[in-house]
Amino acid sequence: MKSTLKFVLDFKIIEIDFSKQKELKTTTTVLNYLRSFPHHKGVKEGCAEGDCGACTVVIAEVNDENKLVYKAVDSCLVFLPMIHGKQLITIENLAVIENKQTKLHPVQQAMLETNGSQCGYCTPGIVMSLFGLYKNHNNPSREAVEEALTGNLCRCTGYQPIIEAAQKACIHNGNDHFSERENEVISLLKRINENEETLILKSKKQKYFKPFTLAEALKIREENPEAIIINGSTDIALRQTKKNEILYEIIDLSGIDELKKVSEDDNNYCFGSGLTLEQLRQYSNDKLPALFKILNVFGSLQIRNIATIGGNVGSASPIGDTLPVLFAHNAMIKVMSQLSERTMSIDDFIKGYRQTDIRNNELITGIIVPKNNNSYLIESYKVSKRKHLDISTVIGAFKLHLNNETVSEIVIAYGGMAATTKRAVKTENFLTAKKWSRENVEQAMDILSGEFTPLSDARSEAEFRTAAARNILLKFYLDTVQKS
Amino acid sequence: MKMSEKTYHESAIKHITGESVYIDDMPVNDQLLLGKVFFSRYAHAKIKKLNIKKALKVKGVHAILTANDIPGENQMGPIVHDEKCLAEKEVTFIGQAIALIAAENADALIEAEKLITIEYEVLEAVLDIETAIERNDLLAPPRKIERGNPDEALLTSPHVITGELKTGGQEHWYLETQTALAIPGEGKEMMIHASSQNPSETQSIVAEVLGLKNHDVEVEVKRMGGGFGGKETQGNHVAAWAALLANATRRPVKIHLFRDDDQIMTGKRHRYLSKYEIGFNEQGKILAYKVEFNADGGSSTDLSMSILERAMLHADNAYSLPNVQIIGKAWKTNLPSNTAFRGFGGPQGMAVIENAIDKIARFLKKDPAEIRHLNFYDQEPDVFTPYGQRIENNHLFKMYDKLLVSSEYFKRKEEIIIFNKANEFVKRGIALTPVKFGISFTNSFLNQAGALVNIYTDGTVLVNHGGTEMGQGLHTKMLQIASSELGITPDRVKVNATNTSKVPNTSPTAASSGSDINGMAVKNAIDIIKSRLMDVVIPELEKLNNGKTTIKENVVFENNFIYDKENSDNKISFDDIIKFAHFKQVSLSSTGFYRTPDIYFDRQTGQGKPFYYFSYGMSVSEVEIDTLTGQHKLLRTDIIQDVGDSINEGIDRGQIEGGFVQGLGWVTTEELKWDKKGNLLTHSPDTYKIPTVNDIPKIFNVELLKDVPNPGTIRRSKAVGEPPLMLALSVWLAIKDAISAVADHCLEPEFSLPATYELILLSSAKLKEGMKKIACADDLEKA
Ligand SMILES: Cc1cc2nc3c(=O)[nH]c(=O)nc-3n(C[C@H](O)[C@H](O)[C@H](O)COP(=O)(O)OP(=O)(O)OC[C@H]3O[C@@H](n4cnc5c(N)ncnc54)[C@H](O)[C@@H]3O)c2cc1C
Ligand code: FES
Ligand code: FES
Repeated sequence: MKSTLKFVLDFKIIEIDFSKQKELKTTTTVLNYLRSFPHHKGVKEGCAEGDCGACTVVIAEVNDENKLVYKAVDSCLVFLPMIHGKQLITIENLAVIENKQTKLHPVQQAMLETNGSQCGYCTPGIVMSLFGLYKNHNNPSREAVEEALTGNLCRCTGYQPIIEAAQKACIHNGNDHFSERENEVISLLKRINENEETLILKSKKQKYFKPFTLAEALKIREENPEAIIINGSTDIALRQTKKNEILYEIIDLSGIDELKKVSEDDNNYCFGSGLTLEQLRQYSNDKLPALFKILNVFGSLQIRNIATIGGNVGSASPIGDTLPVLFAHNAMIKVMSQLSERTMSIDDFIKGYRQTDIRNNELITGIIVPKNNNSYLIESYKVSKRKHLDISTVIGAFKLHLNNETVSEIVIAYGGMAATTKRAVKTENFLTAKKWSRENVEQAMDILSGEFTPLSDARSEAEFRTAAARNILLKFYLDTVQKS
Repeated sequence: MKMSEKTYHESAIKHITGESVYIDDMPVNDQLLLGKVFFSRYAHAKIKKLNIKKALKVKGVHAILTANDIPGENQMGPIVHDEKCLAEKEVTFIGQAIALIAAENADALIEAEKLITIEYEVLEAVLDIETAIERNDLLAPPRKIERGNPDEALLTSPHVITGELKTGGQEHWYLETQTALAIPGEGKEMMIHASSQNPSETQSIVAEVLGLKNHDVEVEVKRMGGGFGGKETQGNHVAAWAALLANATRRPVKIHLFRDDDQIMTGKRHRYLSKYEIGFNEQGKILAYKVEFNADGGSSTDLSMSILERAMLHADNAYSLPNVQIIGKAWKTNLPSNTAFRGFGGPQGMAVIENAIDKIARFLKKDPAEIRHLNFYDQEPDVFTPYGQRIENNHLFKMYDKLLVSSEYFKRKEEIIIFNKANEFVKRGIALTPVKFGISFTNSFLNQAGALVNIYTDGTVLVNHGGTEMGQGLHTKMLQIASSELGITPDRVKVNATNTSKVPNTSPTAASSGSDINGMAVKNAIDIIKSRLMDVVIPELEKLNNGKTTIKENVVFENNFIYDKENSDNKISFDDIIKFAHFKQVSLSSTGFYRTPDIYFDRQTGQGKPFYYFSYGMSVSEVEIDTLTGQHKLLRTDIIQDVGDSINEGIDRGQIEGGFVQGLGWVTTEELKWDKKGNLLTHSPDTYKIPTVNDIPKIFNVELLKDVPNPGTIRRSKAVGEPPLMLALSVWLAIKDAISAVADHCLEPEFSLPATYELILLSSAKLKEGMKKIACADDLEKA
């Protein structure tokens, strides 16, 4: 058992022993930690909820190939222990002093030349997102640039100069002074990571467990059934940052490599619950197009870089975006306790509004998605007020099996229409064994309207939700016709 | 000296390295306390009991103040004194400040806030304009502007369309929320670091609430993380609150509003309910226009009347209205007092006539751009606005001709028709809209500015002026002006933080006028210093040129040197002259002043010349909508903007693109929603959606109109801060055009602003229903 948190900042190992100091809590965010230093105030808070990117920093970690991988994240949502064993890179690290002269990083130089800043408040976050892009893409396409910047709101520039800066800067295969110091950082990180003992951190009223193996995690879970499980914490962190709740006990799964694995056999894909949504997005690209489509408009890159598939399933939110798609795929959820293991359909796993079938000694370990083998059509549609970085107003996923133009099986699952992700069972029944025709689909749309009584809220009126839900069924029909 | 062509924002390097300091980043001593506002949870209620005793006991809490603890006046209304600093017996909106807490850390603040108990007697609340109208709750007497004979002209017009348009409000969403740091000084002195567009007013209000005189309060504004009008008056509030806490605790106190609190507590762009009648002939020429603007002012006056005035003065936008009546009313509701927002009523005024013209075109089955063109203000000499100002230097026709070509408007229009025929559910639309925006404060006395320029003995220059920097590049332009007027390189000039003890009694940095008026004041200060320098320069040059006489007019300041035009080989360095002047006891510091000439406006008659000049712009946008989901894509926007002779093209482009995208948000995804009790539902970026990088036009062409120097302004430039925002009306009407395609442009779609996904989907659906009922063709009038 270890009680000292360690990470690399400013190319040095930082050690935090929570028992020896009073300023920090175990759930102090990286944002607040950095801003407590006079020389790290470049990072800004714009919202404390992951929606603006002013707090963007880049985290580097060692991958399987012994290389550093760089990811932009929203530091307002990241608790300090989540960066244990990683390098934290901030805006202050980008420029270097050479011969008493400030030498800007290529992304900074480009931002200067394109007039990429106006009031400058969003700028450090934008520069960090551009730095993340710089390290991961060479000659990025417009889409790649937009993807990297979706999570950064700028109210001044209108983004055009920032897009130009991105394309201007990212032409050096990611080479910069960080590349030169990569080995140095890797050896620092290895020094921290060689010991895989669980971190147990305590501060006033709070206890934070960070296990590195599944076995340890399950043991801690058994012993601390009340503790809150987090993985990416993009859902849980808001309870602290927005609602001022005290999170007394936390089990943080983000350090467990076993949970981040993907495997595949003839029949199934199996995703570890700790797989980030960005990893899943990249993986699903050509394999699971309906999932890929939804993940392309899921939060922002900063969010997807830490949010996990296990977290999306675990939150059981009625507007969780992967859920309807997992319903359409007839996915299975694997949960484990120290002594047992269960697998159940996603349908059975989701119990109610933010409720799952998990027991207080279990963890979600895997999500199993059956392979389609081209016998089905699966599609998904997300409707939100703003196309990117917005929570679904309505999301629908559909699975269709046709037998000579007749529906032999159909799954219609909606998010945003009820207290949970819900299948439109009556509509499914109506369509089953009928001809897959526009006329029948239009009739089915009327049945669908009767099946749900959605809410009116900040996102839309109920009338809109019903109309959108109907329409995306029609959209699905039109797409299937177009495809065949 | 010529203007240095390419100057980046003077803080750009600091921005991109994270070194730029905002108030929340300022190093303060270990005495610093944090402040928090305890605010009302009811839109309208009596405060029956307020108990802070338990909260005061929280460890780390130093003070909790209520209305009784205000040493001066409990007042923070900027023009009309109708806004309490802290509520006394009654609250009139959700988010209204009731008590202030100062504590050593955020946790103590939160704990204390939870322990304050309050009992309300809930009263009936007015939460929309319609109810306010019913109850006749006006904030001030209605205003009117009239010209010609609108009633008679409506009777004789071949066609009349009447309508109503709702335009929504808009949250500023500056990245830096409202922030202030108050540091008590000796005796009763107070120093305020404010994120305020109006430091002089912040100074007065702080003095007022503390019971001090203006000279006891110093306000400094280094930079804001965005303002957009939201910090024109409402930055005063946090400053006053921080000052009260600092005064009570005698410690520095900082208030940095949490994002949600900022969205809940502060005012927004006014939503409007506008009613109009427009008469026109077969060609589409407008013969008469009557419009009534109803503004939701919120709970107090703030700037509502000035904003209303600007809306009225832009009811015409770019169009000649021979017979016109414009009525403006601002209504009182139980919402935070609405306030300035880039465009300042202009967008609300223009949206109505742009939509009306769109209706005329659909009615006559003509192209809307052509109807607009037909109604543009003529280029003839005697053309007047409804308020009697002569139209001069009209660039509308030139821009129209250029833009039609560069945007390939008609060709794309044809392509769109084909596209729409081929697609049942996805539709495209296009629209061209102009902007004519009046530059100057309509409150004429505000058109004044001051500056203080210091030259130090090492030849460096410090410029102080009354304007504030919020990202718009004002300091950069001032730096460029100073460097070119003095003939020195920009690296020798620094622009200081705006400070009320350096330049007093300033006007807000607003109305796009920052560069115009402050630039002139800076130039004036420099002219004064330069004329003083002549006493040493001329003898020195004459010495250098072997006694050849130098006349003042021939002295050139250029590239850090000074010389006589007649003898350009013999130069004296600027540094030497400055040292020498100091030695010769010449003052190297001067104030400067400027007031805009010949502008006036009579509110009683609604006539005058309120604007020094007009700024013109035009844009064409093309969108694609999915009528099944209501979502849209902005395919392309082409803009031409008139900025006179640009002082800084990079900065001006930034204002155009940024302003346009902000307007884009207003007309599409930015929607304010309240529940039935007056709680703002869209109180965080989770539900309030400003544009992201994905939402800007995929093709975005911005052109500055060339060779159009603006007579009578600094460096012949034009203001650029606000006008481009209204170019986004082209997106709004392109969406309408796309919806209208659902019914083959035979039916008038239901439409309002913003055109959200909800509006797009439901309006398209209604058109589909409507089409089933009629056979189209000529049934528009009946439908
Ligand atoms: C700015 C922003 C944008 C967002 N956009 C979207 C969006 O577009 N679509 C969407 O669906 N969601 C969105 N979310 C919500 C959230 O990001 C997702 O639900 C995400 O998938 C949660 O994953 P996480 O790993 O961060 O979960 P966490 O916050 O770590 O956990 C979420 C829940 O799952 C439980 N949990 C996590 N892992 C396990 C496990 N292994 N076993 C058992 N229980 C577990 C936790 O106890 C918790 O209840 C957004 C959030 C933010 C802040
Ligand atoms: S502060 Fe807005 S995303 Fe972190
Ligand atoms: S530069 Fe002001 S928010 Fe981006």
